[in-house]
Amino acid sequence: MKKKAERLVTFKGKTGFAVRVKRTWSEFRRNKIGVLGLFISLFFVVIAVFAPIIAPYSPSDIYVGAPLSPPSKEFPFGTDELGRCILSLIIYGSRISMSVGVIAALINISIGTIVGLICGYYRNILSDALMRVTDAFIMMPSLALMVVLAAILGPNIYTIILAIGITTWPTTARTVMSQVLSLKERQYVEAVRAAGGSDFYIIFHCILLNVLPIVFTNMILSIATAVLYEAGLSFLGLGDPTRISWGIILYYANTSGAIISGAWWYVIPPGICIILLVVAFTFVSHGLDEVLNPRLRRR
Amino acid sequence: MKWRQIKVPLLEVNALKMYYEVKGKRWVKAVDNVSIRIDRGESLGLAGESGSGKTSLSLSIMRLLPSNGKILGGEIKFENEDILNMNYKLFKKKIAWKKISLVPQAAMSALNPVMKVGDQIVEAIIFHENVSKKEALERVKTLFKLVGLDPSRINDYPHEFSGGMRQRVMIAMALACNPKLVIADEPTSALDVIVQAQILSLIKDLQKNLNLSMILVTHDLSILSEICNSIAVMYAGKIVEYGPTLEVYEDPQHPYTKGLLAATPSIKGTRRRLKSIPGTPPDLLNPPPGCRFHPRCPYAKDICKKEEPPLVKVGGRRVVACHEV
Amino acid sequence: MPGDPTAILIGNPNITQKTRERIIHEFGLDKPLWMQYILYIRELIKGDLGVSFYFTGEPVIKIILGKRMINTLVLMGSATALSVVIGFITGVISAWRRGTKLDLTGLIISIVFFSTPSFWLGLVILLVAGYYLHLIPLGGTVTRGLVHVNVFHYIADYLHHLIAPMITLTLVLYGGYYLMMRNSMLETLTQEYIVTAKAKGLPERRIMFKHAARNAILPLVSMVAINAALIVGGAIVTETVFSWHGIGSLMFLAVASKDYPVLQGIFLIISITVLLANFIADILYAYLDPRVRY
Repeated sequence: MKKKAERLVTFKGKTGFAVRVKRTWSEFRRNKIGVLGLFISLFFVVIAVFAPIIAPYSPSDIYVGAPLSPPSKEFPFGTDELGRCILSLIIYGSRISMSVGVIAALINISIGTIVGLICGYYRNILSDALMRVTDAFIMMPSLALMVVLAAILGPNIYTIILAIGITTWPTTARTVMSQVLSLKERQYVEAVRAAGGSDFYIIFHCILLNVLPIVFTNMILSIATAVLYEAGLSFLGLGDPTRISWGIILYYANTSGAIISGAWWYVIPPGICIILLVVAFTFVSHGLDEVLNPRLRRR
Repeated sequence: MKWRQIKVPLLEVNALKMYYEVKGKRWVKAVDNVSIRIDRGESLGLAGESGSGKTSLSLSIMRLLPSNGKILGGEIKFENEDILNMNYKLFKKKIAWKKISLVPQAAMSALNPVMKVGDQIVEAIIFHENVSKKEALERVKTLFKLVGLDPSRINDYPHEFSGGMRQRVMIAMALACNPKLVIADEPTSALDVIVQAQILSLIKDLQKNLNLSMILVTHDLSILSEICNSIAVMYAGKIVEYGPTLEVYEDPQHPYTKGLLAATPSIKGTRRRLKSIPGTPPDLLNPPPGCRFHPRCPYAKDICKKEEPPLVKVGGRRVVACHEV
Repeated sequence: MPGDPTAILIGNPNITQKTRERIIHEFGLDKPLWMQYILYIRELIKGDLGVSFYFTGEPVIKIILGKRMINTLVLMGSATALSVVIGFITGVISAWRRGTKLDLTGLIISIVFFSTPSFWLGLVILLVAGYYLHLIPLGGTVTRGLVHVNVFHYIADYLHHLIAPMITLTLVLYGGYYLMMRNSMLETLTQEYIVTAKAKGLPERRIMFKHAARNAILPLVSMVAINAALIVGGAIVTETVFSWHGIGSLMFLAVASKDYPVLQGIFLIISITVLLANFIADILYAYLDPRVRY
């Protein structure tokens, strides 16, 4: 009896995995928005990885041009108050902006998924307690919490990553939890349990592999929001001043009075980069969402 | 097919072709060259398996097709008026619900959960006729009594009713504007047998008292025999047999009809083994050539695989599409 | 919370050791932590949230629940209301016309705004409308030093200052509501009762709003409730950019100066607001969805 159920579930779960990934990809390829997003994201990844090669100057090259000068042939994005080339700053800045986003999102998803799985599947004291904590944190304004955390922990890149990761996991947990709850009631889970499958087996083979699509989509979206949060925190001055990120560029732009002196080249390009990156990731997650959760029955 | 040339038929569908467009310019041939005719006071039963095209046909008549449902030929006439190509807004105001109404499939969930049932019927009445809200509510109360519901419950919400009662609400709603033709799509499918019988007897009473014309769409042959005086059997988008109910039941001509009747259990008569029709309904994207039933037909000949059988008269008022006949 | 508050006071060399000890005793900082907590609760029940460090001596309650709160409520309230309404209408229409150019345009626009950092948008608007076009003031809630002739003059000046931050926030917020509404509508439109409504021949607009949207709006209500904390907590970043004297900028100030009583007070008020908002949302939900009532 157990073997038969095993085959049923494994077919849906493990052996199907590679096939499912391939199928998802071929469907995703057809989604114009998703593909566009993918291209733009890859573009930024390339820039980040090859920054030292691409950028004309390094961030430590100060006073290579007149401070706060508008864009020119030599400096396509002008210079900042320390005479640095803003284009180079932006290229280098992509590294921190993106890595903070990705790592914070990873923390978010890991904690969120585990908590979501526990809360959705089990009905014990631990799951109840976790649920209360999750609910409490969902209500809290995340930015406020982040600000407090980051301020307490000090201006450090790791603090930012931690602050973002810790304040965003509850939302993921809630999403995963509701998905697990609905999966738990499916008939094939009952079949496996009747056949004697252990809890761990069920969680791993039936549920986990089926929440992966949602988790993956959420992950991409989390990267997008993490990038936004990093920019916000850095702008407020809570970022690591020894590094360069798009948010930090904007922080310096603000504190050096770019607004008052009308240095638009200092303000506009970093923001546009943030928008493009976040839009790209959002597009990808939107495309994934359409593929993995088709909205049935167009009427 | 001209049986009675005396009166103008109530509804006439001539050679209707309705296909669903699927990605990449492919067509699902849901309704393929179908013709039916309903006279005043007549009830037609549309029988067939799921996917035979019967629901698609009713949707076409009501012009409720989804965006990928396209009419590629044929006409639909109501009281000799072309309703297929009629201006849509005009159709909605004059024909839909006023002349032809629908009791949709899954009537259980066909009611808006956040609106009171009375209001849902009232809005149909008010839109189509020039009556005040008070008069409309009075009519709703009368309708409720007609279908066997407590008229004081018009201010309740759908979830406060049981399945069978919701079905009655749907019937009341369908009758709200005194239509001449009611299309009932699987009115008893999701109900248990006892409630089914109640609804059926309700429908029979309404038929008699209001001289209703009906199209009853179902896969359950037993209920057709109770209510309808003619029956059209559909398979894979085509009509394969068409005629007065009693005649078709006692002497089915088409192999599919024979199979369907053989598969229906009966309390009366000798106990016999239920015979099911082997095979599965065809893929309507690429239906089999020739007669669409031939892969499952025990009498299939060579010609069945090549040529589509036309509908031929088989005595009296019956037509069958089969090479065997 | 780390960061010895007395350290800040001690930084001031004018305070003698004696005074320092007295301050510590007054503030009860020398008592054990748990006792401090109990004292806090006791004061809380009396409605006393303690006294701020930064605004030395000012009672926290007065700081939080005074003008700053009003400013934030006005800003966030109006921005939220506007973004919900816009998100609702555009979401419904977008879902009804799914797949058309209108839908795609709406999607792209909302995603772009949703991806825009609020502070950056604020900066840009300040630059363009303030610096270049001189349309709006560069910050603050009212023009400093201006003596207002009468109430209307005051309100006009206030509104003049309000427009830019409000528009910034609305643009950034509406995307979330739009997407949520659109998704909810798409799900609702697959329901059977929409077919029934269409069969009845009812006009499109009626079906779209009275039948579909009426059902699809429920998740939106939940979403607004969840974002309730935002309305009070204020958008820290936007308020800072526009120098809007609200709770958000207060929070930032408190964090920077380690003014813990104020911070605690703010979080407390936020928590209460969240509870209230949820309560109201539950009631609203029951009103909108008869299936929930008992």
